Order: sequence, then structure tokens, then C-alpha cells
Amino acid sequence: MKTILAALALTTALTFPGIAMARPVTLTTTLKDYGGNGAYLAIYVTDPKGAYAGSLWMAGTKSKYYEHLSDWYRATGGNTAEINGITGASVGAGRRLEITLDLADALFDAGYTVHIDAAAEDMRDSPNEIAVPLTAEGAGQSVPGRRYIANFSYGM
Amino acid sequence: MKKTFVTLLASTALIAGIGLPAWSAMHGADLFEGPRDAALAAFREAGASPMLVSDDDGEGRDHERRLHRGGDSDEEDDDDSDGGNAPGPAPAGSVAPPDNGLFGTGAAPKVQVN
Repeated sequence: MKTILAALALTTALTFPGIAMARPVTLTTTLKDYGGNGAYLAIYVTDPKGAYAGSLWMAGTKSKYYEHLSDWYRATGGNTAEINGITGASVGAGRRLEITLDLADALFDAGYTVHIDAAAEDMRDSPNEIAVPLTAEGAGQSVPGRRYIANFSYGM
Repeated sequence: MKKTFVTLLASTALIAGIGLPAWSAMHGADLFEGPRDAALAAFREAGASPMLVSDDDGEGRDHERRLHRGGDSDEEDDDDSDGGNAPGPAPAGSVAPPDNGLFGTGAAPKVQVN
């Protein structure tokens, strides 16, 4: 009995920090009716110094088009290992993309910024179309895009 | 006297034949240089650099670049290979998200497109 209790306490102690240090965050990106084919979107984060910290999502599966997401591509060299397990299909005009991710608490209110690069077939590339600081206060606030994105928000 | 007159006539004809077209060409060049110089001066006064040949001003870095799929579609074709050069990324749900410090527990993302 004592052994079981000790094991339970140990597993709880090991598991709790993992749960406490992350939270589910939903990123919602609504595209404009720009009258073209599905858009490629790279959603990524920069640290307080503006350096690339990592990717959150890639909408668009064909790596040969990633160079058109030019800021993301410049930061990563187009390395697909950066987006393994976080890649889905491109997003059609007028559609809304909702992604729920388990994000580290340390990203919020610490100077991190989420960016979106966008590109659509035979239309102008749009790097850094969205750049929003990750803060608890900014959650739920809609931010307008520039070319393909109607608005973006994140919710916790 | 007659010989002198013939020489004078020949030299006049030569000057007229060669000199006049040359003078005309020089004068014509001035006609075009005037407006060109005026246009260059106007650009300089405005603080802009004239664009004489290329219209690629590099504005906004890569903003003029365009993605061209050539009939490819993500929905029609799931083959991510880049002509055999680069492997495509693993789709969401097939592997854990990258260990880049952004994700808390490595849980698979949930995605929905409306």
C-alpha cells in the first residue's frame, strides 16, 4: 500500500509540471474572398529578439512552394523537419482555419510574436501578413490581415 | 583661275555633303538630350531615383514573387515529393509536433477548416 502511494505521488509530481506549463490555444485564421486557389500559410513564432523560435502550423503540403512563404523560408531554409506533425492542407479563399495546439505557457507575456506568411497561386506573395504579440490580454482580439487574411485571433 | 574655282566648288560640295548631315545629327541629339536631362533633374529634385530599364524596385522584398502550381492541387495530389529532391513534411497526427520548445506536451494538434 505504501509503495503504491509512493508511486502515485511520484507519477503525479512528474506529470503535474507538464500539465501546468502548457495550455490549449486555438489559432483562428479567416481568409478573404481573394478569388484565387487555396492559400499556403506558415504560422510561426519569433522570440523577444525577433529571431525565429519555431513553427506552429503549415497550411500546404508541397514543399516546393514553401519558398513563397519567404520570411519563414529564410528563417528555416525550408527545412521540413520544422513542420513535421504540424502540417495540413492549404486553405481556400473565404474559409476559416482553426487549429488547437498545446502551447507552452512560457510563450505568453514574454515578448514572443506569432507571424503568418501567406501565398496563393499566381498572386503576390505576402510575407509577415500577420504579426501579433502573444499576450494573455491579446487573446480573443481579432487582428486584420493585409492581403489574403481577413483576420486572425488566438483564444485560450 | 578656272582650276581654283573648280577646287573651291568641290570643297564646298564636300563640306555640304559630309558636314551638313553631321551637324544635323548633332543638333538632333540635342533635341532629345534636353527633355531627358530635364526629366532626370526632376527625379533628382523629387529625391527619387529614375528607373530607366528595369521596373523591379525590390519593393517589399519578395512581394512581387508569385506561387505557380501548374495544375497541382493539395487536395488532388498528396504526393509531397519535390521531384525526388526534398521529402515533404509529415502531416499532422502522423507524428508528434517538433520538439522546438513551443509545444507543451507533444499532443497532436486539432485542425478544422470551415
